[in-house]
Amino acid sequence: MRFTWMCKEPRSTVSGRSKLKISIIGAGPGGLAAAGYLACLGYSVEVYEKQPLPGGMMTFAIPKVRIKDETVLIGVEELRDKFNVVFKTNTKVFGNHEPPKDEGDHFIKNTVNLKDIVEQSDAVLITTGTWQSRRLKIPGENGPGVMSAVEYLYEIRAWEKGLLDHHPHVGDRVIVIGGGLSAVDAALEALEQGAKEVILAYRRTKKQAPAGIYEINSLIRKGVKWMELVSPVEIVRKNEKVKGIKLQKMKLGEPDESGRPRPIPIPGSEFVLEVDTVIEAIGEIATPPLVNNFLGIKLDRKNRIIVDEHYRTTNPKVWAAGDVVTGPSFIGNAVKTGLYAAKSIHIHLSNKLL
Amino acid sequence: MSQQPGKIVYLRFIDLDKCIGCYTCQAVCDFLHDGRPFIKVYETEIGLRTPLSCLHCSKAPCIEVCPTGAMTRDDTGAVYVDSMKCIGCMACLYACPFGIPELDPQLRVATKCDLCKPLREQGLEPACYAMCPAEAIVYGSPQDIGEKIKKRKAEMIIRARTSGPMLE
Repeated sequence: MRFTWMCKEPRSTVSGRSKLKISIIGAGPGGLAAAGYLACLGYSVEVYEKQPLPGGMMTFAIPKVRIKDETVLIGVEELRDKFNVVFKTNTKVFGNHEPPKDEGDHFIKNTVNLKDIVEQSDAVLITTGTWQSRRLKIPGENGPGVMSAVEYLYEIRAWEKGLLDHHPHVGDRVIVIGGGLSAVDAALEALEQGAKEVILAYRRTKKQAPAGIYEINSLIRKGVKWMELVSPVEIVRKNEKVKGIKLQKMKLGEPDESGRPRPIPIPGSEFVLEVDTVIEAIGEIATPPLVNNFLGIKLDRKNRIIVDEHYRTTNPKVWAAGDVVTGPSFIGNAVKTGLYAAKSIHIHLSNKLL
Repeated sequence: MSQQPGKIVYLRFIDLDKCIGCYTCQAVCDFLHDGRPFIKVYETEIGLRTPLSCLHCSKAPCIEVCPTGAMTRDDTGAVYVDSMKCIGCMACLYACPFGIPELDPQLRVATKCDLCKPLREQGLEPACYAMCPAEAIVYGSPQDIGEKIKKRKAEMIIRARTSGPMLE
């Protein structure tokens, strides 16, 4: 990925832009796209990243059959070596308070206060994504044998890079809960890891699954067992170990606020399915590097950063883009909003230079 | 009817086996053209997403039908609209099997992907190709593209014929 696709080399420093420092929090697709645009214009760019390598979900969650590390890292090296973008890896950023535990926190060596970064920069762009998984909140969930899809996929990709000395363990009978792309990827990886049975369970039908009929049918062709109109109510354990999952049958009702038919539980329809591993893929939540109202930055009730049409937060020096603003989406969404946010920062700083 | 001018020096090919439907191509194109992308990802009924953009056909019907010679080919082979000559009749849209040309409502001329002509004139690459995270968009000489795609297909055929454990 050539993040500096709009220029051959950084614009000459005569305009004084190199004296202006822009800090980007999060080196995923949004942060990197913005870094490329701003580096092309000649600004001095610093990128903070909690992982040992930039790329975000592209290098640490999405399976490598879809995106190769090299494709992303070639572009990162160009940003670093040719455009003098400074990458501060293994660094988590958070405001004043104790940061919550997110996925992929394994390699954090330093924690930097967002307040210090904002004070020391001319502009800050937050692109920290959605690194917390939604949990089922059912009995038996806590303990070994239950993990989120992002946690599972993350550890596989970290292991592939030699960053972890073991890959995440899955048993013989794996159930993946969810109908989105993370669920599909987790089911594929479990199959690849040699699980004897991989079940994908979703509370609506194939037709409503966000991953789409095609993706689910191709999983079925590869040997994944598809179960629809079921919802987990309890994880059954014996001596700590996962022995099974209690599922409840569902039926489709009237459309809910998402426009899809609402799944309605059928009373008395519970049954236990024998499994030893449960992978929860029921969605991710925005992980901004701050609590609501820190530095005047406002979050909505889904923990997403509130921005205006120019990607400005409620702090005049801070912008935000990508999944941390929109919630989980496609890479293209992060790239697009990252670029427009970068342009907004450029316009703001250009006015300041005049 | 105009003759098919120019040589095909560079081609863009979208390898749909590699495409993950992530909208990155559309994102950079949107940014470059102020909210009007010329490569767009469509979500089909079966949920599979696929990008659609001008194929820069070697025997482009849009060039054939253009009554004013506005639809033409640049010196690398990219099909583009010379907006000074275009009368906005959209004969090109009738001719295009893929429904690509659009009417620019302000300029009242046909408009479409020109494989990032302004970027290429600065020695840069088409933006969608430069940014695709799945390497699904391939750009190069017809020979190079042919080789690259055949190599990928060879890998796919072999993978399909061998079981997982035999690869390691």
